[in-house]
This record gives sequence, C-alpha cells and structure tokens, in this order.
Amino acid sequence: MFKNYFLVAVRTLRRNLAYTTLNVVGLALGITCSLLLFLVIRHELSYDTFHGKADRIYRINVDKISAHGPENNAGTPFPMLALLKASLPELTPATHLFNEEGGTFMVLSLNDKEAPRKFREEKNVLFVEPEFFDLFDFPTDGVNGKQALKDLNTVLLTQTIADKYFPGENPVGRVLRMNNQVNLKVTGVIPDAPENTDLPYQMLVDYESSRKINTFANDSWNSTYSNQQIYFALSPGANLKQAEDRLNEVAAKYRPRSPGEQERYTFQPLTQVHFDERYGNFKGRTISKTTLWAMALIGMFLVLVASINFVNLATAQALRRAKEVGMRKVLGASKPQLMTQFLLETGMITLTALSLSVVLTELLLPPLSNLLELQLAFSILHDPLLLLFLVVLLVAVTFFAGFYPALVISGFQPISALKSKTATARAAGLSLRRTLVVLQFTVCQVLIICTIIVHNQMEYFRSASLGFDKEAIVNIPLPAGKAKDLMVLRPQLEAHPAIKATSFAIAPPSANIDMNTSFRYDEFSVERNFSVNMKMADEHYLKTFNIPLLAGRMYEKSDTMREFLVNETFLRQVGETNPQAAVGKDLVINGNQNQGKIVGVVKDFHLTSLRDKIQPVVMSTFTDIYLFLNVKLEQKNTKAALTHLQNVYQSAYPDDVFHYEFFDDSIARFYEGEQRQAYLFKVFSVIAILIGCLGLYGLVAFMVAQRTKEVGVRKVLGASSASIVGLFCKDFAQLVLIAFVIAGPISYYFMEQWLQDFTYRINIGYWVFLAACVLTLIIALTTVSVQALRAAFSNPVKALKTE
Amino acid sequence: MLKTINLQKKYTTDEVETTALANVNLHVRQGEFLAIMGPSGCGKSTLLNIIGLLDNPSGGEFYFLDQEISRHSERQRANLRKEHLGFVFQSFNLIDELTVYENVELPLIYLKVGATERKQRVEQALEQMQIAHRRNHFPQQLSGGQQQRVAIARAVVSKPKLLLADEPTGNLDSAHGQEVMQLLSSLNEQGTTIIMVTHSPSDADYAHRVVNLFDGQVISENVKELAIL
Repeated sequence: MFKNYFLVAVRTLRRNLAYTTLNVVGLALGITCSLLLFLVIRHELSYDTFHGKADRIYRINVDKISAHGPENNAGTPFPMLALLKASLPELTPATHLFNEEGGTFMVLSLNDKEAPRKFREEKNVLFVEPEFFDLFDFPTDGVNGKQALKDLNTVLLTQTIADKYFPGENPVGRVLRMNNQVNLKVTGVIPDAPENTDLPYQMLVDYESSRKINTFANDSWNSTYSNQQIYFALSPGANLKQAEDRLNEVAAKYRPRSPGEQERYTFQPLTQVHFDERYGNFKGRTISKTTLWAMALIGMFLVLVASINFVNLATAQALRRAKEVGMRKVLGASKPQLMTQFLLETGMITLTALSLSVVLTELLLPPLSNLLELQLAFSILHDPLLLLFLVVLLVAVTFFAGFYPALVISGFQPISALKSKTATARAAGLSLRRTLVVLQFTVCQVLIICTIIVHNQMEYFRSASLGFDKEAIVNIPLPAGKAKDLMVLRPQLEAHPAIKATSFAIAPPSANIDMNTSFRYDEFSVERNFSVNMKMADEHYLKTFNIPLLAGRMYEKSDTMREFLVNETFLRQVGETNPQAAVGKDLVINGNQNQGKIVGVVKDFHLTSLRDKIQPVVMSTFTDIYLFLNVKLEQKNTKAALTHLQNVYQSAYPDDVFHYEFFDDSIARFYEGEQRQAYLFKVFSVIAILIGCLGLYGLVAFMVAQRTKEVGVRKVLGASSASIVGLFCKDFAQLVLIAFVIAGPISYYFMEQWLQDFTYRINIGYWVFLAACVLTLIIALTTVSVQALRAAFSNPVKALKTE
Repeated sequence: MLKTINLQKKYTTDEVETTALANVNLHVRQGEFLAIMGPSGCGKSTLLNIIGLLDNPSGGEFYFLDQEISRHSERQRANLRKEHLGFVFQSFNLIDELTVYENVELPLIYLKVGATERKQRVEQALEQMQIAHRRNHFPQQLSGGQQQRVAIARAVVSKPKLLLADEPTGNLDSAHGQEVMQLLSSLNEQGTTIIMVTHSPSDADYAHRVVNLFDGQVISENVKELAIL
C-alpha cells in the first residue's frame, strides 16, 4: 500500500514540477529560518547552564528606589563577602568576581638580552577567589584551579592567551606584568572559556591582586562598583527568601540608610543573568526573554506562511487529483486511507524541504554566527535535541500543511470526482484560500511595519543629539592612577596642528563607567534620597566635547575636588528652577569627605545609551582617577595626529601599550544588540514576503487557469486587457486591505511595547502603516499582474475551446 | 443477485427538485448480462451508480446479495464495493501516475491481497485482456482500446460477482469497441454478472436482456435469450 502511495506521490510531484518547486522552495525557506532561529534561541538559553550547581548559584544585586526611579546594580559593597562568610554559612561557597576590562600585559623576559613583549587586552581579565572553582564548572583540563590561584599574584592563562604570549614556550612559571602595576606568575594553562557564559575570561587572576588594579577598591559599605560582584551557591535545603531577608537584616547594621531611601539586596539566579538587562553582566550583552519569544514567534510565523502556501496550492491543485481520488474510492479506498495517502505526500514534500533546509542552514550558519557574534553549533547527528526539533517540525508542518487539503480531497464524492465536478469543494476551498492569503498578508505587513519602526529607532540612536560632540574625538585609555604623567606633557600633546583640544577624565560623557555617590546640597543637613553620577574631568572637558554651560563658569584647574558643576536634572531634582540660583551653593559629597561650591550648571547630556534616563550629574576634578585622555581632532589629518599622540603617550608610559577608540564607534556599540535585532527583522521580513509571493504566484496562476473561460467570454464581449488585469488585481487588493486592518493595530501594539524600553524614542507615525500597506499592495499586485497579463493577452478562441 | 423495489432518486438544488429515478423495479440474476438503454438524461447512469453502491437512493429498497443496503454508510458500501463489484467507465478512469500493472494491481491492494498472489492475479488478468506486453507503460502511452482493456483487467482482477460498465465503448472507434464487447461477453460466459449502460444498439445486442429507461422509469424490457435463466 505505502509503496503505491509513494510511487504515486513521486510521479505526481515530478509531473507538477512547478507546483512542487514552489512548495519545496517556500517550505525550505520557512524551515531554514525557523531552524536558524531555533539554533540562536537554544544558544541564548544555554548560558551558564553547564555548571553542576547552576540551579542554586545566585548573584547578589542591589535594588534601590530613589527620587529618579529604580536603580539596579549588580555591584556589591566590598566588605560584604567577608560578612557572608562569617555570618551566613548557607550562602557559601561564595566568591568575589572582579572583571577588569582588559589592560596591558608585559611578558618579562628570562634574560636581559631579550626585550619584554607587550600586549594589550580589551576585555575580561577576571579576578576570582579560590571558591570560584567550587562554584563553577568551567573546563580546567585537569588543572587544579583552587591550588593554582591560592597565592597572591598568580594567574591562569587560557589557551588562546598562552599561545599569543608564549608561542612555542611553556608559560608555567613565567611572569606577566599587568598595567605596569602587578607582577603575576603563570601557574597554569586552562582551556578557553566557553562562549555561552556571562562570566567570560581570557585569564583568571587571584582576587587579592585586584586590590592594586582596581582604583575603586575600598572597605566602605557606601560604595559599589558594577565590575565587582558576588556569586554564591545556596546550600541545599536552605530557603532562598529567608536567606535574602537575613542578609538584608545583617547588612543593615553596616550600611546605614538615609531616611526615605529604600535599598535591598536581592538574589538573582545565575541562569537569569543573561536575560536581565537591568543589571548587565561581564559579557556586556543581555537578551530579554521577550526578544527570544519574538524570535520564536517569527520562526513560527515563517513556517506558518510557508504552510499556508502549501494549503493554498494543494487545495487549488486538488481538482487535478479528482479523477484519481474518485477511482480510488470506486475501488473501495476508505477516507482514512486516502487521507493517509495525501498526508504522506505532504510528508514527502516537507521532508524534501527539510533536507534542503539542512543544507541551507549549514551554508547560512557561518555568516549568521558572524553577524550575531555567537558560536552557533549545528551538527544533526550528535544533537538529539536538534533531531527532535526537526522531527517535530516535520510532523507539525506535514500535519498543518497537509491536513486540510487531505480532508478536502478525501471528502470528494466518487461520482462527481470522476466527472471533475467538485464545485462545492471548490467554492468552500476558495473562501478558505482567501482567508489564508489574508493571514499571510497580515504576517507580512506586521513584519514590514515592525522592521520600519525598529529601523527608525536605530536611525534615531545614530542621529539623535546626545548633548555633546562625538565626531572626530578619540578616547585613549590611561594606566590607572597615572594620568599625571601624561598631563604634564599637555603642551606637547597639543602641539600638533590637527589636535584641537584635549581633556583628561574618568570617562567620556557616555560610557559604561558609573560612579555614584550620595550628596548634600546647600543648607540641607540630610542627604537626599537619590545619588548622583560623578563625572571626574579636568577643566577642558566641556570645550573638548562641546557641552554648553547654562550658568556660571567652568571650574578651575585642580588635582582634587574643589569646585563643582551640576547638570539640569540635578537642579530639577533638588527643586531648583533657576540655574543661576544654584551657582555659589555648597555641595558635600561622599559622606563628608568632599565639599565645595557649585560654580556652574551644564546642559543635560546623555550618560549612557538612550535607553536610560539622564541622571543627576556632579562634575569635578580628581586627577588620581582619570582613566581616559579624550582628544578632539581636525576632521583631516587624523592619522598623523594619532601617530603624534602615540609618540607622546609612549614617552610618558614607555611600558604601556598605546590604544585608542573613536568615540562615535564606542557609542555605536551601545546599540549593537538592537542593530542586530534590526538586521534580523529586515532579513526575516524579506524572507516572509518572498515566501508569501511564491505562494501568491502559484495561487494566481491556478485562479487564472480556472477563469480561462470567463476571460475568453469577456474578451469576446469586448473587454480590454487592462480591464482583465484589473479584474484579478481588484480581488487581491481587497485581501491586502483586509489584512492591513488586522496588521495595523497588532503591530502598533507590539511596537509601542518595544519602544517603551527606551526613554528616548521615536513616535510611531501614520506614514509607517501607509508605507507598509502600499508596499504590500505593490508586491502583491505585481505578482498578480504577471499572471493576469498572460490571461489578458491570450487568444479568446483558444480559451473558449478549453471548455 | 440484486433486486430493486420502487427505487427512487431525487436531486434537490435550491428550489428545484429533479426526479432522476421513479419507482424502478429491477431484478438481476447471477450470470445475467443486462443492458440499460435510453436517451441522455433518462437516469441510466444514476441507476448504475446506485447499483454500483456509489450513491444512495432517496427511496425504495435495494437488495444486493440478499442484503437490504439502501441505508448503508459510505464505509459499508466501500467494503461491499471492493469485495464484489468491478467498474468499467466510458472514459477509462485509469490513474495517470500509475503504470498498467500498477493500475490493475490497485484493487487487490485495497483488498489486502498478499504480494505473491497479487502478482499472479494481475499477470493473469493482463494476459486475459491481452495487454501483458504493455504492463510497464503509462496510460497516456496507450490507445483508447488498450486503455479500456486495462480498465477491464482492473475491474475483473478482484474477481467481482458483478461487473458494471458505463458506456464502455463510448470513447472508442468501432473496431476497438467490438473488441471490448467481445471481452465483456466472454467474461460473462465465464460466469461474471454484467450490467451495462449503453447508447449503442449493437453493444446492447451482446446482452441477454435490455431494459429501456425514460424519464427515470422502466418503460420496456426485451429478453433476448432465456436459456441461461
């Protein structure tokens, strides 16, 4: 029986090659996209799930509610870990993790003849305590990490770094000098960190060494630093909520709160770190579960659109199979037997499409991995979950695409089927096909509208005024605590004609470096219940970044904090309306450590990405913690200027590696995630439209064939070719418009939700909807016209003969 | 073998009711060769479809192999059909995607006949219809007469008790038509009961009895040969 079904299926598909191709290509495109999305989603969900204790490892976060809204931070006060170890045994093992965003490394030579080799790393030097190895199960290749990092000034290199720093040599026992501050002895080489972790590292250094590297390290309960975090494993059987309460209770003794200040330490599961943008992670990339759901939905939509094609084409084609079905029924075939036969045929098409998809996925995965900067794996044979996904996809698509056509076809009455008089089936099928086409158009329009809106938001990011200049500015990182060495060379630095201005600061205006502190303004005796963002910079900062002053003047040159600038948001939050009024007021920050007068008010500028609200800012001088030299260049001759900067830099820091980044590039990196999403949206909506067009083309071809006689009669009665084309176009234009009525509100709702993530965002204009509608109309009508023209230009005599 | 008592068939479309068969009483015995004649639209094919269990009557009784089956479900009719009936149509109705051999094999597949026996019976039927040399050809590669021989082979391969033929020579030239009629006639001689709808008096000559229909009613019966009854 199955052999017979198989033979008929193969021969039918071969005979209707155009139909088969449309179906296979459409389905293959849809399945490929869903397969790629499956791989991406699975990868994203796999972050840090490979640790044996993954389900009971937590990170301690700080949640604050202050006057300018909630503040979420993963940084914890430095003394907290000691407290944990002393009084909260249920929260152990626990470790500090300090993530240093790169640094310079000098390989000390074994003898004096050889010059030391210097390297610069841009990211992820991780300082860990020995408990790190009790908590996490990173691959160590047999190296006893706990033992290797038990002493001060020790480092474990990953294989990549070992090969880079010590090509052909044994690194163990050798010494690296980091940031020209600490000597680290290599105690072992471990495999590279897996890609799917939010605790990436290029090397692991003993935690105690971070105290010399980390300029912010102190023993105060009042300051936190987002790169300094605590992870712990909850003891089996311990109650999470109770443990959290206990920590807050115990910590309250050490961390006095101002009145009105609400602050709570919360525990975040390790497996959630990847999905919560509020706290961030050392990887520097999170992805929300909503985005993953959106991806899954897009994947399903694409398979849906392709399946709809299938249903449309198959029911349209059903008439051609009428005789066969009729005869099989006459010979005693039952309805279930016929349904099995047609489902099997669908299964074969799906299987062919699936095989093609596997090949396509294999081809498309490397470029996609590059685009998304993910290491996506695809090996069917060694991947049971993937195999399962493919089988489920095969069954689901076969059933979804094949069930209705099979039902229609197997329901033919044998006598009418033999005479090809399946009028009732045809009429019912037609209205269903229309519904399905509307559904396809709806999906396409939703995707088009979303794509346009996401694209516009990205453009807004690129072009929105941030409150400062970002073009032709380079940021040069400086060795920590040594800004002065270069500051004394400022005249040399500015000697080059292409250099317009230079400024030393803790960071450029928008950066991922955040320093927050409490403060007292004017005559208020209590601290306000919000903290301020500290921007430490020299007196050239405003000029270099072209940030306007609203009142007062720039502070004077100084090595320590003496005078302050504040921003507009600061004024608003302390209730000051007139910028001028703030000038001359007293300001005390950092407990009682620093005090001085406000000498000026600057216009608001963005501190981080446009996702976040502008925070209250206090600016002042503090030479010791400057980490960047910012240089405003002439648009031309930048190359020579950079060489000049490098020479001056090297004369100040002969042992460091010169490195720079253009400011606009680093700002663009804030939106990398969104840019990728925007790109994915574009690619997938184009594919959805393409699949939709394939189906439409097939469907219209069939409808044109069905109406050959009608067209013939109309032409005999004097209809013009244009009116014939119009006849077909009118039908489909109606469907597009119905789809638009559905797609418009749906996409508006979802995009409003998405845009709410951004404090600074575009408004959705009506023209977006209009554009999507017109675009779909053009695409649909072009597809229809190609076929309709063929009908319109046909010879009416021939057309009438066919009846 | 079969008997109809006041068999009726009405078609209703919107407000129009058309009577296709009105009180048809027919009795067909085992081994008989019956021809049904009449002008277009007289109800010949409707009657044949009901007898062939492809359609249910609107009224009256229908006995097939001593069973009253006018109210049988589609599944029950399908079972009776595949076990006891064979069909030959004017337009052959071969499945284009199957070869001659596979077309003839199809009824046996639905009857779940084992592979070895199937092969044997298909070969036998093809030999009998003198079409075995074309076994691997597709229907479009055959002449009309050859296609009808394949259709007959398909109809008899399951050894049906009753063979129904709806204008079996209608699409054939006279030479091929005669060939087909001779085949049917010899099948009848071997014991197969045949009911045939035809327009052609010369085809009707092969039958033992001719029933004339007009406006859905039997208006006359001519018995040609009583010997076998």
